[in-house]
Amino acid sequence: MIELTKTGIDGLDDILNGGIVKNSTTLVSGNPGAGKSILGLQYIYNGVEMFDEDGIFLSFEESEKDLRQAAESIGFDNWQQYVDEGRITVYDKQVLLRENDFSSSLELLLGELDDENYERLVLDSLTMFKLFFDTEREQRTYLLKFTDILADNELTTLMTNEQGQIFPETEINLENFLTDGNIYLIQTPTDSGVSRYVWVAKMRKQNIETDIFPMEITDGGITVHHNASAFSMMSENDSPL
Amino acid sequence: MSSVDLLQTLGNKYSAEILDATDEPRSAQELSDELEIPIATCYRRIDELTENNLLELHDNILSDDRRRIKVYRRNVDSVRIDFGEELGVTIEERQEVTNTLDEAWRTLSEG
Repeated sequence: MIELTKTGIDGLDDILNGGIVKNSTTLVSGNPGAGKSILGLQYIYNGVEMFDEDGIFLSFEESEKDLRQAAESIGFDNWQQYVDEGRITVYDKQVLLRENDFSSSLELLLGELDDENYERLVLDSLTMFKLFFDTEREQRTYLLKFTDILADNELTTLMTNEQGQIFPETEINLENFLTDGNIYLIQTPTDSGVSRYVWVAKMRKQNIETDIFPMEITDGGITVHHNASAFSMMSENDSPL
Repeated sequence: MSSVDLLQTLGNKYSAEILDATDEPRSAQELSDELEIPIATCYRRIDELTENNLLELHDNILSDDRRRIKVYRRNVDSVRIDFGEELGVTIEERQEVTNTLDEAWRTLSEG
């Protein structure tokens, strides 16, 4: 029986057939504004709020204050309390990029993973993390080593990934192959605003629904409409990943 | 290796230039070309520096004509010499994200 980590996001766990495989690493790709960071915030927040699982949020993009404001703006009112209690640990851009010395921050993080019992981790974003490596070969090697280390520490991880292409064009890079799961967040402009969709393209060891489902970002965060009429981009066997 | 031997190695002609140039991985041939070091001397210096742990074999990369080429990277950020009661040489090892991950990963595989 494969153990699962629930995202606690309405509808998403249904598509995932219960949740994300425990100790795996899932890539969350999307254009700017697609909701990648929100998905990450919600995953960490729900961990504490619903499942009594502590989490770590690594952000190269935002400060601790930005994250708190983002969390509170979508109704995660206890975010700061959980941070204060040490149930959510935030490594923000100031910490991670201090004196341009990511290496010491990384050591701090690895030490923390050894000592404490965290079950969830979000890396926002993998795009930034990759900049610390010189060659594609290094990026590949160290992404694999990093995911090994995370799995060994029994962390179920989401990594966000900037996607330059506009759906249905998708960039498929090494990291898509090297991670256990691939989730795409898609947004398309409409007359009245924007339509949002989520596509779980790959999840190792899990029988997932690979259709594309509509989602919303409202107060309370992301909701996926699992029962709305999904549209299929391709049959399961044709999935490129 | 005594402090004096280490200084001797560092003091050899081209040693400092090689360390200076190997911030990024470089092959012996590249170093020889860039720094205008005779190739035999270049190999000898690389061996000495590697033995003293100042330089490390970083990788065996595949060349365009599909041969394996050894590339080297310096292993130090700075060297400090102290003259006091006793001559002392302190080597500040290069600390990088890759080293940190390598180390953490090695501990894993040892289980």
